[in-house]
Amino acid sequence: MQLIKKTFIFLYREMKISFSNLSDLLSNILFFFLSIFIFVFAIGPEKSSYNEIAIGILWSLLILSSTLSLRKYYEEDFKNGTLIILHMSGLSYELIVILKVISHFLFVQIPFLISIPIASIIIGLSTNEILLLFITFSIGSLILSCLGSISASMNLLNKFNFSIGSAIVLLFSIPLIIFSIGILNEPENFNFLFNIILGIAFIFIGITPWSSAASLKLAINNQ
Amino acid sequence: MLLTNNLSFARSTKNIFENISFSIAPGKIIQIKGNNGSGKTTFIKTILHILKPATGEIFWSGKNINKDIFEYYSNTTFIMDKCSSSSNLTVIDNIIFWKNLNSSKISKEQISLLLHKLNLKKYLETKIFQLSSGEIKKLELIRLIIEQKKFWVIDEPYNHLDEQSINILNETFKDHIRNNGFVLFASHYDPLINNIEIINFS
Repeated sequence: MQLIKKTFIFLYREMKISFSNLSDLLSNILFFFLSIFIFVFAIGPEKSSYNEIAIGILWSLLILSSTLSLRKYYEEDFKNGTLIILHMSGLSYELIVILKVISHFLFVQIPFLISIPIASIIIGLSTNEILLLFITFSIGSLILSCLGSISASMNLLNKFNFSIGSAIVLLFSIPLIIFSIGILNEPENFNFLFNIILGIAFIFIGITPWSSAASLKLAINNQ
Repeated sequence: MLLTNNLSFARSTKNIFENISFSIAPGKIIQIKGNNGSGKTTFIKTILHILKPATGEIFWSGKNINKDIFEYYSNTTFIMDKCSSSSNLTVIDNIIFWKNLNSSKISKEQISLLLHKLNLKKYLETKIFQLSSGEIKKLELIRLIIEQKKFWVIDEPYNHLDEQSINILNETFKDHIRNNGFVLFASHYDPLINNIEIINFS
């Protein structure tokens, strides 16, 4: 019971921090929309070319935009010792990671999820494509939150090169992009491809708490 | 209550400290003294099992802390030499977070009195990054009272504090010891408290 209470207290704090940093969140969303406009202007008014690459562009931009917030994942809590205080209050590092992933999903990825329909309209996707993109990104964003946690916790061990963390996210999101775009290109194989994405999500949900917690422990030990 | 047996810590090939055995029981206050870089903070973190010792064991109430680390932590408050409050939250947000996280039974009136005593009441709605170093230190030290735990471990508690706050802190330490609490702190400053035992790292 105590643990459940602490879980909600932690998530409430994360929510407050996210809302107090609202400008950060909005600038990520702004980056996402500005990038779409840049692509629209770069490609030109040919509508047929959009149909071929629009979904790929949206997915790439969603992944790039979500890597912008990686630095905030653990860095402040690590530097100011909050991770230690949280652990001493009775939360294991694994649970802290799970809660951080949940809060990243809720307060960073959900705003992107909400922006998808608007972005899709700008880029001229059909209603069916918007729906499929929405469904795939719902699962994909959870995978991105897990990947973000792994790379952000590994980054704590490497103080001088932040881009490595982003590179990890980009590298491991390739299968996600392949299968998500596959769903949109071949809607008849939805069940098959969606199950693969779900499988990837479950793998990351399974490994993230242990791998991120191991990195956090190592980083705290080397601090 | 807390006992360490031949505690050593090394980074790479460098020994930070070796074979330290000591105990601390209710009513005791121990100061760790030493030059900069002598390993005071590392020692504190090792005692709290934040850093893993190279050799030695730590016992809490007769039990090795590895058996149930959270029982040890449930009796221990650790104040670091840095600001562990969220810089984008207000003073009151941070206080409420600590209170709830530790299921503290401290009342709103007690918190209000504490803030008044430390001249922090006017900063309730101020974000942490807008506070001075001294105000942040006082806010951190409030955790000692909020968490209501027996064993206080504090790294450099007197840094950034003015004379009035130092006196309040000394009185708080004395009260805690009288109430069968115990304190371990690292500091260069010599507080006006009787019967302080000293571990010297120099």
